[in-house]
Amino acid sequence: MADSLPTEFDVIIIGTGLPESILAAACARSGQRVLHVDSRSYYGGNWASFTFSGLLSWLKECEQDSEAGDKSTAAWQNLIQDTEEAIALRGKDDTIRHVEVFCYASEDTGDSAEEIDALQKNPSLVASSTLTKPLDAACLSEETHSDSTSPEMPAKDTPQHDGEILPEVTDREETEVKEKDCGEKTCIHTVSDGAKDENKPVVEDNAGQPKRNRITYSQIVKEGRRFNIDLVSKLLYSQGSLIDLLIKSNVSRYAEFKNVTRILAFREGKVEQVPCSRADVFNSKELTMVEKRMLMKFLTFCLDYEQHPGEYQDFTQRPFSEYLKTQKLTPNLQHFILHSIAMTEPSCLTVDGLKATKHFLQCLGRYGNTPFLFPLYGQGEIPQCFCRMCAVFGGIYCLRHRVQCLVVDKESGRCEAVIDHFGQRISAKYFIVEDSYLSEDTCAGVQYEQISRAVLITDQSVLKADSDQQITMLTVPPAEPGARAVRVAELCSSTMTCMKDTYLVHLTCSSASTAREDLEPVVQELFTPYAETEIDEGDPPKPRLLWALYFNMRDSSGVSRSSYHGLPSNVYVCSGPDCGLGNEHAVKLAETLFQQIFPGEDFCPPPPNPEDIIFDGDDKQPEAPGTNTLIVAKLESSEGSQNLDSPGQHLQN
Amino acid sequence: MFNLLLYFFLGQERFGNMTRVYYKEAVGAFVVFDISRGSTFEAVLKWKSDLDSKVHLPSGGPIAAVLLANKCDQKKEGSQIPAQMDQFCKEHGFTGWFETSAKDNINIEEAARFLVENILMNQQSFPNEDNDGDRIRLHEKALPAESKSQCC
Repeated sequence: MADSLPTEFDVIIIGTGLPESILAAACARSGQRVLHVDSRSYYGGNWASFTFSGLLSWLKECEQDSEAGDKSTAAWQNLIQDTEEAIALRGKDDTIRHVEVFCYASEDTGDSAEEIDALQKNPSLVASSTLTKPLDAACLSEETHSDSTSPEMPAKDTPQHDGEILPEVTDREETEVKEKDCGEKTCIHTVSDGAKDENKPVVEDNAGQPKRNRITYSQIVKEGRRFNIDLVSKLLYSQGSLIDLLIKSNVSRYAEFKNVTRILAFREGKVEQVPCSRADVFNSKELTMVEKRMLMKFLTFCLDYEQHPGEYQDFTQRPFSEYLKTQKLTPNLQHFILHSIAMTEPSCLTVDGLKATKHFLQCLGRYGNTPFLFPLYGQGEIPQCFCRMCAVFGGIYCLRHRVQCLVVDKESGRCEAVIDHFGQRISAKYFIVEDSYLSEDTCAGVQYEQISRAVLITDQSVLKADSDQQITMLTVPPAEPGARAVRVAELCSSTMTCMKDTYLVHLTCSSASTAREDLEPVVQELFTPYAETEIDEGDPPKPRLLWALYFNMRDSSGVSRSSYHGLPSNVYVCSGPDCGLGNEHAVKLAETLFQQIFPGEDFCPPPPNPEDIIFDGDDKQPEAPGTNTLIVAKLESSEGSQNLDSPGQHLQN
Repeated sequence: MFNLLLYFFLGQERFGNMTRVYYKEAVGAFVVFDISRGSTFEAVLKWKSDLDSKVHLPSGGPIAAVLLANKCDQKKEGSQIPAQMDQFCKEHGFTGWFETSAKDNINIEEAARFLVENILMNQQSFPNEDNDGDRIRLHEKALPAESKSQCC
């Protein structure tokens, strides 16, 4: 395929994360010839989402990347002129570190012996390579089996285990995992009862509580395609730059969304619902009448706080938390506003807190009861939506396509071309490179932040409700002064991100240490590991944790372009994911870069009617494979502006 | 009466799968193989199964799919249409198949017409898009003027 790729473009973009993809769409839309490549086999880079087996593969790649050094091969020496020099790009990704996996779900005794043996042999800390292999093999065989079945149907019911004989669950102490310092390597911990496989009947809970179905690891693997696990955990503000862009550009038609159904707070060891809308406040059983009035009064003020500067001008240089103390709000109301509504850092000043509160309130009611939407199938869909728009306007896509280096003209200092891993030289006028592709030398002067992430598979919600199909946003305030707030997103199966009867839980905070150190305390507060005894702890019992992944991801969003060393003026850098809840940063970055490169051009205007972007039906189709071509075939002459958006309206007989 | 918007994905996803996003809103598909290259026929089922796993009609059934045996202008020694194409199509859920030549414009319009007829038949059987109630399609939602859940 590479030999038939055109060798000249207007713009080459390396990396398919969100800012790069938005920028690609904007460029293609404005008529530029775009080549968009990614060294990975999937779209999205660090913004991607994976099935369960896909995630395991990703983990393996991360481990391989961290082991291999960044070997740069000077394979381009005879491909560049004397008047040119090369800037190498990175071979291996270095943005993911401190990966740790904990598997709590047990194995069915009925399952393949190999799988169980693998766990039995290695009950304690295992070098990941030995453990991953048998799991992967099982994964793949399970996966291909489910692949060959019928098209995506609603997930089957998990099998009932009532009355079945199950292995006895061993005590926590016996399965305690000895940890050594993992350093940079991927660590996979197996905390399960695989080592003891005695068949004993499960103790029935006679307290009248319905027995919770046991979900096994092999079920998770088998249903692995039901999972769409995001590397980045974000939500869309209903009044926000991403939603506005999706609607403006018409890219919104490539995705569907669901409302986040509730906002929760974590206070005094308990999870509580935060009333945000007027109806919530009125209906709340937790708030007193007095509190309801206080809250409504304050939130009403926040909605147009700028009109009442007298109310807060004494506190403009003081933290928002201090200001709230003076505002006739009980401590729990202050907590709700500070941590679950404004969601600002503790040090945030009053005006920023008011602004954030106002934004939250303005977002209420646009689509639902909370300010947030979540994309069906996960955040990883969003970059792909913009890639599709780019392709529609002629952009060419190449996955698994690595770029070895940038070719720079010595005299002008401008980048002229790239050389890909096939040794193909491809020229362009502008180049956009995502931060993770830049070499160590280029990034030598750069200070990066980190994002601590955890992904959990659990069996129940953190807060039971009438419906188990809730999409929940929970903020856990910093445990102590100077620590970070932790943002928790709990996704039900109807988000199409996890199998039925499970929840996918994402935790995020800006890193103070390794992800596990930053986040495990919160995980332990909210969940109980699956391997523990049947007797449910606490009242109400905590949801159980089946599987957990921790990792740190590089946050390059705060890096200024000048920190990079030796970049030609026509090479622009896109950052990876930021730590924020919304996507404002990515959209702003794409728009800013677009305006720098193509000043005065319209940024992602709505596409014209399909009729207007026609290639005449008699034109020869381009023969070159690898080309995305938009062709509109007119079968009959049409009248008026019609498109395929609502085909139902065109049934005219 | 209407326009058919066709997206071509030629040779770019060698490994036989596309993202779900690229299939979104598709109501029909052509799966094309090259009769002079047997390997492209082997990939046909992978593509069909990828398609069916990622997109379907509102009713849940598969979208109309027509198989094209392309480059029939190059029929010569060594190139062949696999035997029992009708049976193959029936077994694997293709609505039909055509020998085509994009180059010489053989059967292209016929194949397109056939696909479109099948698309329309599907439309007529299930004219209303199902909405499982709480899925939000942003482009369909008018800006709400008033919402009782709005705070103040």
